Amino acid sequence: MATETSDESGLTGTVSDLSLNRVALYGALLAFVGLYLSPLYSGLTTSFKTQQAFTQTSPLQPPIELLPVPHLEGFTIDPWLTAGSELAFSMINSFAMVIPATVLSALLGSLTAYGLTKVDWRGQAFLLALFLAAVFIPYQAVLVPLRQFWSIVDISSLHERGELVELTITHIAYGIPICTILFRSYYQTLDDELIEAARLDGASLARIYRKIVLPLSLPMFAVTLIYQFTQVWNDFLFALVLLSNRANYVVTLELNALQGSMATDYGVQMAGAFIAALPTILVYIMFGEQFAKGQTL
Amino acid sequence: MADLTLDDVSKVFVENDGNEITAVDDVSLEIDDGEFLVLVGPSGCGKSTTLRMVAGLETVSSGEIRLDDRVINDRQPKERDIAMVFQSYALYPHMTVRENMSFGLEESTDMPDDEIASVVAEAAEMLGIDELLDRKPDDLSGGQQQRVALGRAIVRDPEVFLLDEPLSNLDAKLRAQMRTELQRLQEELDVATIYVTHDQTEAMTMADKIAILDDGQLQQVGTPLECYHEPENLFVAGFIGEPSMNFFDVSLDTADERLVHDDFDYALSAETQSALDGTEALVLGIRPEDISIGGDADDDHRYETVVDVVEPMGNENNVYLTFEEGDGSETFVATIDGLERVEEGERVVAHVPEDAIHVFDRRTGRALRNRRLESETATEPQL
Repeated sequence: MATETSDESGLTGTVSDLSLNRVALYGALLAFVGLYLSPLYSGLTTSFKTQQAFTQTSPLQPPIELLPVPHLEGFTIDPWLTAGSELAFSMINSFAMVIPATVLSALLGSLTAYGLTKVDWRGQAFLLALFLAAVFIPYQAVLVPLRQFWSIVDISSLHERGELVELTITHIAYGIPICTILFRSYYQTLDDELIEAARLDGASLARIYRKIVLPLSLPMFAVTLIYQFTQVWNDFLFALVLLSNRANYVVTLELNALQGSMATDYGVQMAGAFIAALPTILVYIMFGEQFAKGQTL
Repeated sequence: MADLTLDDVSKVFVENDGNEITAVDDVSLEIDDGEFLVLVGPSGCGKSTTLRMVAGLETVSSGEIRLDDRVINDRQPKERDIAMVFQSYALYPHMTVRENMSFGLEESTDMPDDEIASVVAEAAEMLGIDELLDRKPDDLSGGQQQRVALGRAIVRDPEVFLLDEPLSNLDAKLRAQMRTELQRLQEELDVATIYVTHDQTEAMTMADKIAILDDGQLQQVGTPLECYHEPENLFVAGFIGEPSMNFFDVSLDTADERLVHDDFDYALSAETQSALDGTEALVLGIRPEDISIGGDADDDHRYETVVDVVEPMGNENNVYLTFEEGDGSETFVATIDGLERVEEGERVVAHVPEDAIHVFDRRTGRALRNRRLESETATEPQL
């Protein structure tokens, strides 16, 4: 730091410069923390308030009275119970859709990337260009063709859960390009001599993937799993277009429906939003260490 | 156990813009069973490509690679019965040493697990890595990783052993130690081996036979001493030996029976002159250790010189000399005994004996006359 090397101001000058800088720095950081956390915080306080407390107190004020002795005032966990029971079924639907969608798009992306980097054949560059282009296709652009496609390939007519399968397949397909690109950049750093050594050791292409490439891709799987899980879990648009049966609703749709049925109960909505966000946070915590490893690779 | 033959093997790479690059040009080699062949040359000379063609990692553009009498050009690497040690060792980082060494046997043979285990244990013991079997490659030192890479190749019991610059990642001391160890190992295994290196010291010390490549073309194949004392051309003469052979551009003066250089004249005997066949543009070559210092400039092959730089090596001194009569631009090196004292700036007489000179055709680079070699007086190669 410049202040540490300046000798004109002397030691005391350095110390006061330093502490002033520090104060300013921490002040700014705290301000940002407050800024980012305030919506979450007010959401959290709202979710624990009764309707009456919600209308009568500031959103930032917790449901606690400090005087004459600190005690809970207008505190309730009812919004959480209500939201929980309203969202429970859609949470199960979400998990049933997100887990296969995430795992399969990561796996297929990894396989594709392996084929594009470690196997030599003609036309690779063209195919890679297609995948790259696909990453940039916005959700909105494919809504109509997507709807049309699924009315031709009509899985939903086969089974009442068919819509959910359609949504899952859509997310897998939509996730493959970005997963492929992520895995490709990782596989490019993987030593070619490893693959060659395995070929000389007598392993086939499939065996090399299974025994060498796949185990070495675990950090990258953590990255793509977190990314895909968040993307797919949070998706609203595809679900809105593909799901019509309330029984198949995923959590994002159900959360939206919550707003309609419980028109003014903000506490329930806030609790619902937290419940719906919980799995993505848990996934980050679960794969966080691997994620950091994958990011630095 | 088998003999490996390369017959006019070429490799042409076609670049994206359609340009063709010939990496290996009509190389023919024979490696007998149990023979240690070192393929040596500067970087980019095609030696690794040649090795990779033998391994089956690169296709062969033309020519034939045969194992005994079977042509193996179109065989997959795994069908060639060849094991290779890579420069980066290419150990599987997620597997233990044991798993690394068993992998090849599991993939390419029907050997039962207990047999694989005993083969691996035996090879590990042979290499002194039996203590490390349960560790991961990342926990090993460079030298230990090197041994594991060797072990992985040995357990396969291959017909041919390929080594691609296996020692280049080791420090100098360990490299010298592994050099002898590799030689011993190869003798024990008695398998045809191709060893690729850019280091002429490794080539000289380890090889039964050296093949020198430059720019994709085979320059010479021979025993280390043949290549050292009887180089077929300028490239080989300059590449083998450290410090390199001294070269002087000279022209032949037939009337005066001498070679003429800007800084000196060199008188030739009739015998030497006849070997030159009247070629006028020549290169005179002399190994540093063949030049001696001292005495008076009283005959045709002694020259007044000035010492420019002295590099003491302990056992010997490399002395850089310039001709007193010249403009000082032509420097050449003489290797003298380490105990002989020479100071920078000192005037000394350098003796360039005629039986030790090499003469090359400057246009083609071909050797017209190599040093005379009587086996008992042959100087030890300087490495």
